[in-house]
Amino acid sequence: MKKEYDPIHSKTIRLLRWFCPSQLLEEIEGDLIQKFNRDLKSPHTSRWPAEYKLRRAKRRLLWNVIRYCRPEIILRNKLSIQLINTIMLRSYLTIALRNVIKNKVFSAINVFGLAIGLAACLLIFQFVSFELSFDNFNEKLDRTYRVTNDRFQNGQLIQHGTIMYPTIGPTMAKDFAEIEEYTRLMPGGDLNVKINDKNFRGDNCHFADERFFSVFDFKLLAGDRSSLLKEPYTTVLTENTAARYFPVKDKNYSSLIGKTFLWGLDTRPYTVKGICENIPDNSHIRFDALISYSTLIRPDNQDADLSWTWSDMRHYLVLKPGTDYKKLESKFPAFSERYFKGDKVSGSVEKFYLQPLKNAHLYSDYEYDIATTASGKAVWAMLVVAAFILVIAWINYINLTTSRALDRAKEVGLRKVMGAFKRQLVNQFIFESLLITALAFVVAFVLVISLQSTFNQIVGTNLSLNTILTSLSSTKILIVILVLFVGAFASGFYPAFVLSSYQPVTVLKGKFTRSGKGNFLRKSLVVFQFTSSAALITGTFIVSKQIDFMNKADLGINIGNVIIVQSPQLMPWDSTFIERVESFKNTLAQVPGVISATTSGNIPGERLGRSFNIRLSDQAADAHFTISNMSVDYSFFDAYHVQILAGRNFLPTDHNPDFQKLDKVIINRNAVQLLGVKNVEEAIGKEIVWGRNGTRKWTIVGVVDDFHQEALQKPMEPMIFRPMYSTYAPTSVKIKSDDEQKTVADIETVYKKFFPGNSFEYSYLEQRYNNQYNDDTRFGKVVSIFTILAIIVSCLGLIGLSSYTAAQRTKEIGIRKVLGASLVNIVSILSIDFVRLVLIAAISSLPIAYFSMQNWLQSYAYHISPGLAQFVLPLAIVLLIAIVTISFQIVKTALTNPADTLKYE
Amino acid sequence: MAKEYLGEFEELILTLVAGLQEEAYGAAISEEIETRLKRDVNLSAVHVTLYRLEDKGLIKSALGGGTNERGGRRKRIYSITSAGIATLRAIKEVRIDLWKMVPQLKMS
Repeated sequence: MKKEYDPIHSKTIRLLRWFCPSQLLEEIEGDLIQKFNRDLKSPHTSRWPAEYKLRRAKRRLLWNVIRYCRPEIILRNKLSIQLINTIMLRSYLTIALRNVIKNKVFSAINVFGLAIGLAACLLIFQFVSFELSFDNFNEKLDRTYRVTNDRFQNGQLIQHGTIMYPTIGPTMAKDFAEIEEYTRLMPGGDLNVKINDKNFRGDNCHFADERFFSVFDFKLLAGDRSSLLKEPYTTVLTENTAARYFPVKDKNYSSLIGKTFLWGLDTRPYTVKGICENIPDNSHIRFDALISYSTLIRPDNQDADLSWTWSDMRHYLVLKPGTDYKKLESKFPAFSERYFKGDKVSGSVEKFYLQPLKNAHLYSDYEYDIATTASGKAVWAMLVVAAFILVIAWINYINLTTSRALDRAKEVGLRKVMGAFKRQLVNQFIFESLLITALAFVVAFVLVISLQSTFNQIVGTNLSLNTILTSLSSTKILIVILVLFVGAFASGFYPAFVLSSYQPVTVLKGKFTRSGKGNFLRKSLVVFQFTSSAALITGTFIVSKQIDFMNKADLGINIGNVIIVQSPQLMPWDSTFIERVESFKNTLAQVPGVISATTSGNIPGERLGRSFNIRLSDQAADAHFTISNMSVDYSFFDAYHVQILAGRNFLPTDHNPDFQKLDKVIINRNAVQLLGVKNVEEAIGKEIVWGRNGTRKWTIVGVVDDFHQEALQKPMEPMIFRPMYSTYAPTSVKIKSDDEQKTVADIETVYKKFFPGNSFEYSYLEQRYNNQYNDDTRFGKVVSIFTILAIIVSCLGLIGLSSYTAAQRTKEIGIRKVLGASLVNIVSILSIDFVRLVLIAAISSLPIAYFSMQNWLQSYAYHISPGLAQFVLPLAIVLLIAIVTISFQIVKTALTNPADTLKYE
Repeated sequence: MAKEYLGEFEELILTLVAGLQEEAYGAAISEEIETRLKRDVNLSAVHVTLYRLEDKGLIKSALGGGTNERGGRRKRIYSITSAGIATLRAIKEVRIDLWKMVPQLKMS
């Protein structure tokens, strides 16, 4: 027979006990059981079999219990729990505060260590979440793609870019039903605006078609979204640009609709049709103004719409919901074959790909990219580092807390004797941990707020905790809070259990010594921390040396003391243009502070355009090579000190106002190599054919040495130079280094004299060139910050370990001293262990540092080879820091009077 | 009149507490309601009302003895306070006053 059912021990009653307030429990339980028993004997069921009766009674019991789940009952619960806990909490708080105050230095180290970790974490988290938030203001973000384009010539990748032909968008939209919408964009460069008599220069604009505002969700302040950018010569300005161009009262932007301005030499005015909000910081596209794409398409020249060879356009596609973009991408090879017929149309084999818009900021390595990009890998690495710092900070905290166990052991013993449960002690210690963590949080927030602007400066962003927190989704915030809370709790847990598990008998007898348990953990942690510190120090050295190398490298071209004067925006091309520029140059050269002046289509540091179809006239007609081209005037190579290896420099007679009559070129050494000519001398006199099926021949009159047109990450490319002037070519003015201000003022006077009505804009070439290293400099700064952090955190770990061992060995030291050991003796005995640990750490950091730095240096076409000093110096530094850190604790221990430590023996 | 009004169920329970005297505890009250008023009532409703009346100061309670039938759990015996009595009486008087307004109907 089955055991008789006992309601008291049933699951149903246990359920009741779980939620029912204890002061009501007995009564309710009793009443329920009584009811259950009476249900069993209910007259309604007197004829039922016993089994049914029991089942009915059980069912009713369960129902009754469930009915007690009502606020009137459950709320009585909470009140009682709070009542009990506030009493205990107060006691915990007092004890915790007393402990904090008793060990001021120790608590400060503890709180501060944790706070630094948390602050670093918060700052990094801010940065990372900003970087990850790019373009997410676009509603169709997950369906929007950038079309990218790789070009191959002779089987080799010659261009990896986002630029392509204007026909791509419309043709794809026609051929593929998956495409819901496309937009076409071409960077328009500087917008030189004239309104009445005022000039505005330097605003960046794009030509964009009428679908732009439907693909991207830039907010409009005025204008009708659906009709923007449709007609030629219409424009949309950002808020800031509009406010600079036109007087705006009370942000009434609608009043600006219909206003007009002139651009450069255009006689037809542009009409403002819309004003959009300033571009959000987290947009990959940036612009000050948009001009309608249809402006480019003229009745007599529809290349901007129909060309299969003009490649300046960027395309964005919006796919229909549910489309697999990889599937669409797989149809592109056939598309390319259909329209480009191998390399028959554009001179190169065209491959097209789709890049999800959400990857545009972090995962782009394209040439001619208009996106603001950052390294996705670096962002994720930062996040890992942040997590790392936090974990290490917490482990340090655990170490420091448990290393103080001896101080608290007696307290624990006494509490236990007085009748404290283990659980109460655990509660107490966890509470203390939470208190310390809370303090650390406060300090961390103060740190974050005070370091915010410095951090922004270094990272080059405009972040604040506030904007990040408000922009984050609530789930993300929840995750962060959860992680922090779990971490705080977990780090409080271990010490709490260690401390509360002491046996009162051993502790109070005075026989308590620490076990070596956890010592290995502690030591390996210190080794680990110092390994990363040493590796980071090595990294800092190498990064700064590489940056230094790049800043001081011999570029093959002398860019020092060069001022770039922007070309006059309001000077049309005519047959006298060259003469005017020449006399401007000559007048400049007569200014006392000026050494020489030259004009060129591009200045050093700029990415050059490429020509895809260049061959020598004695090569087969289907041969083609890709060479970057640059137009220069005859004084360029002299002004920039570029060495001529063979042949001659350009002569003034090589120039001609009629483009068709030009027939001389100079190439660089790499181009000689690419074209397959044996040596530089042999190249002189050879003829170059330019363009597909081209018949026009250019004679090579000279070969110049390679120079770094772009930053040292990039290899030096084959280059070809043509003797050309142009209306947009800036003037490079080489000046003497003394009294620059006066020289600049003189240059301006000359400029104003020659080009009245144009605005004078200048910049220092070296600064512009070095701007290419902004990312690297920033990386260097970030690495040094992490280095400092790592050192601080490691030192905290070491303090924990040294105070732990020192406490453990007090008696040993006492005995040694009694037996006559000297101070030096004891200090060296105590420190040798740590020195050994740090040494192990430093040495094991070597291979890590070596390989990771090699890896990093590989990303530069030209880089340093790290010497021995970069690896040995960090060892010395780490050792020194470690010794200084532990010396306090050790000397203190060594100086203790043995009488104090041994008197109880 | 008391400041606080009593609901119908509250009044019922209060009256039963007064009437059952030594036997006024949760289960007994609910049984009494079931047998006398033929009205189905849940134990939890009775308890909640009892607690509410106690909060209002109309009844007070003390733990009594346990029985086997209750698995040894003690009963909580409720008794009416003088405030409770006053409230009950006030209610009754108001009812009688009101009843007097009703024209006497002939009972067939």
